[in-house]
Amino acid sequence: MRTTAPDVSASGPLSYDVVIVGGGAAGLRAAIAVAETAPALSVAIVSKVYPMRSHTVSAEGGAAAVIKDVDSLDEHFRDTVSGGDWLCDQDAVEFFVEEAPKELLRLEHWGCPWSREPDGHVAVRPFGGMKQQRTWFAADKTGFHLLHALFQTSLKHQQIVRHDEWFATKLLVDDGRVGGVAGIELATGRIETIAAKAVILCTGGCGRVYPFTTNANIKTGDGMALAYRAGGPLKDMEFVQYHPTGLPFTGILITEAARAEGGWLLNRDGYRYLQDYDLGKPEPHPVFKSMELGPRDRLSQAFVKEMEKGRTIPTSYGPIVHLDLRHLGEQTIDTKLPFVRELCRDYERIDPVRELIPVRPVVHYMMGGVHTDIDGAAGVAGLYAAGETACVSINGANRLGSNSLPECLVFGARAGEAAASHAASAPGPAASLAAQAADERRRLEELLRRDGGRERVSTLRQEMQAAMEAGAGIYRSRDDLVKSVDRVHELQDRFRSVRLTDHSLTFNTELIAALELEFMLEVAGSILHSALMREESRGAHQRVDFPRRDDEQFLAHSLICRNDDGSWRIEYPPVTITRWPPGERVYGR
Amino acid sequence: MAEHHFRVWRGDDDGGKLADYTVEVNEGEVVLDVIHRLQATQTPDLAVRWNCKAGKCGSCSAEINGTPRLLCMTRMSTFDPNETVTVTPLRAFPVVRDLVTDVSFNYQKARELPAFAPPADLKPGEYRMQQVDVERSQEFRKCIECFLCQNTCHVIRDHEDNKQAFAGPRVMIRAAELDMHPLDAKTDRKEFAAEEQGMGYCNITKCCTEVCPEHIKITDNAIIPMKERAVDRRYDPLVWLGSKIFKRSDA
Ligand SMILES: Cc1cc2nc3c(=O)[nH]c(=O)nc-3n(C[C@H](O)[C@H](O)[C@H](O)COP(=O)(O)OP(=O)(O)OC[C@H]3O[C@@H](n4cnc5c(N)ncnc54)[C@H](O)[C@@H]3O)c2cc1C
Ligand code: SF4
Ligand code: SF4
Ligand code: FES
Repeated sequence: MRTTAPDVSASGPLSYDVVIVGGGAAGLRAAIAVAETAPALSVAIVSKVYPMRSHTVSAEGGAAAVIKDVDSLDEHFRDTVSGGDWLCDQDAVEFFVEEAPKELLRLEHWGCPWSREPDGHVAVRPFGGMKQQRTWFAADKTGFHLLHALFQTSLKHQQIVRHDEWFATKLLVDDGRVGGVAGIELATGRIETIAAKAVILCTGGCGRVYPFTTNANIKTGDGMALAYRAGGPLKDMEFVQYHPTGLPFTGILITEAARAEGGWLLNRDGYRYLQDYDLGKPEPHPVFKSMELGPRDRLSQAFVKEMEKGRTIPTSYGPIVHLDLRHLGEQTIDTKLPFVRELCRDYERIDPVRELIPVRPVVHYMMGGVHTDIDGAAGVAGLYAAGETACVSINGANRLGSNSLPECLVFGARAGEAAASHAASAPGPAASLAAQAADERRRLEELLRRDGGRERVSTLRQEMQAAMEAGAGIYRSRDDLVKSVDRVHELQDRFRSVRLTDHSLTFNTELIAALELEFMLEVAGSILHSALMREESRGAHQRVDFPRRDDEQFLAHSLICRNDDGSWRIEYPPVTITRWPPGERVYGR
Repeated sequence: MAEHHFRVWRGDDDGGKLADYTVEVNEGEVVLDVIHRLQATQTPDLAVRWNCKAGKCGSCSAEINGTPRLLCMTRMSTFDPNETVTVTPLRAFPVVRDLVTDVSFNYQKARELPAFAPPADLKPGEYRMQQVDVERSQEFRKCIECFLCQNTCHVIRDHEDNKQAFAGPRVMIRAAELDMHPLDAKTDRKEFAAEEQGMGYCNITKCCTEVCPEHIKITDNAIIPMKERAVDRRYDPLVWLGSKIFKRSDA
C-alpha cells in the first residue's frame, strides 16, 4: 500500500531525498530522525512487510540502558566490551552506552509503556552478561511495544511516505555513489525504481540461512546482500549468535528473562552443568554474570560439550537439556514470565510451574553485517545502514542480550541524521541510473517468465541451511568449512536454473522466495569465507583447530568485499581500542 | 500422519472459487503448516501472508470455516479428522490474491487518530507512572493488528458505506489506550472517537471480542467505558473536571 501520493507526476519515476529500506525499530527510528532534523526533506520507508509485522515485534526481554544510581556508563561499557570478547569498537560502544538512556526516555515520550518500580520510576531487570540491573522492559513484549510507539510516532510526520509490501532487489549505484533502489511492489507486481540521494539499509538479520532459528521468515539478510553486491564490505560475518534456550522443533525462543528471574539449566542427571565450564558456582538465586546469567556464546558452547559427554537428553527433535523454573513458583512465573508459560502450554503442552522445559541452542542473532562507521556510513557514498543488518560494531564477537534494541534506536537515529545531512547537499540522481534500472527490470522479468529450469527454491534453500549448520555451527573446523563453501558455490550455480511455477504479477510469493534465496546464498558464502579465514577462537566463533584467541593476528575486523566477478577478498582493519586493552573474559568469579 | 480434506479460495480481484485439496497432516501442526505443505507439494503459486508463525506479527489472518482466525495459531487437532477445512480470505477487505487481502483501510484510519501527546511540563527522565496505570491500558497495547476484529465487525463487514464513518474496534481500543494513559496530554480522546471516528455506530454486539486472538475485551473494557464517559462529559462539566484531576494526581 502506498500511504500518500509521492511528490511526482503519477507516471514519472518515484523520487525522495532519503529512502529507508526496512520498517523495524531501526528503520522507523531513522525515518523519524530524518523528519525531525531536516523537515524539508522527503523520506520514504519501503518494507517488504507492513512495518508492524517486522521482526522487532518478537523481542521480548528488554532494552539495556543505564538508569540506576548504582550503575554507571563505564560498567555498561565494560560488560559490552568483555561480552564481545574485545572485538567491539570502543568509540562506538562509548557513544552507544551514553545515548541508550536518552533514546529509551525519548521512547517513553512517544508513548512506550515501560514497566515500573513501586515508586513510579522505570523498572529494570538483570540480563545475561550484565553486571547490574539495567534492562528496561515493557511487560514481556518489549520489542512489540517499542515498535508500536515508533510506528505511531512516525505517523505524526506527514513527510514520511510508506511503500508497504515493497521488496527491494537492487541498490542503484553510479560512479561510487548511491542513487536509489529498484524493487517490486508486491500487490501489483510492478517493478519500480525509487531515486534517492541517500539510502539507509535497516533490513534486520539473516537467521534464515540456518535451518533452526528464532528468526521469522523475512530475516533473509537482504540488506547485507544488497550492500555487498553494490560494493559495500560486510564486517565480522563469522560471528553468529546461538541463543541457549530455544524450544525444540519450532525454534521458538524462551526469553533470557526466564534465567534472569532465576531459572536453571539442567542436564540429563538434573545437574546444573554450567558449573563445569568456568561459569561460577551454583547458587540458589541468580547472580550477575554467573552460571545461567553467563553470556550466550559460552552457554551454547557448554551445551555442545555436554552433548559430547552424553549428558544431554535425546529426543526425536535432537538432543536437549532442561530449563527448570519450578522453584520460582506460580506467582513469579505468572507476573514476570506470563508469556513463557503461554508458549510452553501452546507449543510443548507443558506447564513450567510443574514441569521442565526442553530447550536447545538456536540461531538467534547476527553480530556481523554491513560495515559502517559510527555515523552508519557504509563505504559507498550515500549508503547507510543501522540495526541488526549493520555492524558498527558494538557487539563484537558476541552480543549481550538486550543491547540490540537500543542499538537499533541509537544508530538508527544517528544514521538518519547523517543521511539527512548528506542528502541536503548531494546532487540529484545520475542519468545512468535509468539504464541500470532497465537492466534490473529485464533480470526480474526473465526470472519470472523463465521456463525449463529444473531446480526448486525450497530444495536449494534446505540444502543451503544444512550446509550452514554443518560448516558454521557452534564449533567449526577447516575441513567442515571447506566442504560447506563448496556446497554453497554449487548451490549458487544451481540457482541459475531455478524454476518458478508461478508467473503471476500479483503477490507472487514464489518469486520473492527465489529472490530471498539468492540473497541468502550470498550471505551464507560471506559467513563461511570469513569463518574459514579467521584462524582463532573468539566469542561466538569457535574453531576446534584453533582453540585460542589470537590477539596478535586477529584483534581485527574481517571485512569481506565482493569483486566484480563474484569472487571475494578479506581485509583485517584493527579494532578501535580507546581505553580498555584486551583481557580475560571472567564470569562467575 | 493422516490425510485431510482442504478447500482454499483461489482467485484475485476479478473473482475466484474454492479449490479442493487432499493433503497430509502431521501431529502438532497448525493450519499454516498445511498451507505451506500445499505450497511445497501441490500449488507453489498459492499466495498467503505470514512471518512469525507464533501469533505475534498479525500477518496470517484469514477465515477458517467462516470464522476469522490466525492461520498460525489454529491447531489441526481442533478439527474432526473427516471435517473439511475451508480457508478463505478476510471478507471485509478487497482481495489481492488468494488469501491475501488489501488491509490499507485499517492503516488509513489509524493515521487519522492523533498520536500520543506528551505533557509539556515534564522533561526527559521526569515521567513517573504507577505500575497500575501502566497495566490499566496494557491489555489494549497487546493488539497485534491482525484486523480480525475489523473483519468481523458487522458495521464494516456488511456495509461498505460505513467504512467512511466508522473506524472500527481496533481503532477504538487505541483511542481507549491513549485515553487511559496517565501522561497523555490530549483531553478529548473520547470526543474524537465519538465525533470523528464513529463510535456511535458500534451497537455492542461483542463479535470483535470473540475473535480477538489476544483476548482483549474490546467491547467491555474499551468501547463501553468510552461510550459512557463520552456521554457523561458532554452533559456534565463536573464529571469531566473530576476525571482530569484524578488523572493528574495519579501521575
Ligand atoms: C525472538 C527474538 C527475541 C529477541 N529479543 C530481544 C530482546 O529482548 N532485546 C534485544 O535487545 N534484542 C532482542 N532481539 C533482537 C532484536 O529483536 C533484533 O535485533 C531487532 O529487532 C532488529 O531490528 P531491525 O530494525 O534491525 O530489523 P527488523 O525488525 O528485522 O526489520 C527489518 C525490516 O526490513 C524490511 N526488509 C528486509 N528486507 C527487505 C527488502 N528486501 N525490501 C524491503 N524491505 C525489507 C522488513 O520488512 C522489516 O520491516 C530478539 C530477537 C529475536 C529473534
Ligand atoms: S461490539 Fe461494536 S465494534 Fe465490536 S463487533 Fe460489535 S459493533 Fe463492531
Ligand atoms: S484488537 Fe485483537 S482482533 Fe483486533 S486487531 Fe488487535 S489483536 Fe487483532
Ligand atoms: S505468522 Fe505471525 S501471527 Fe501468524
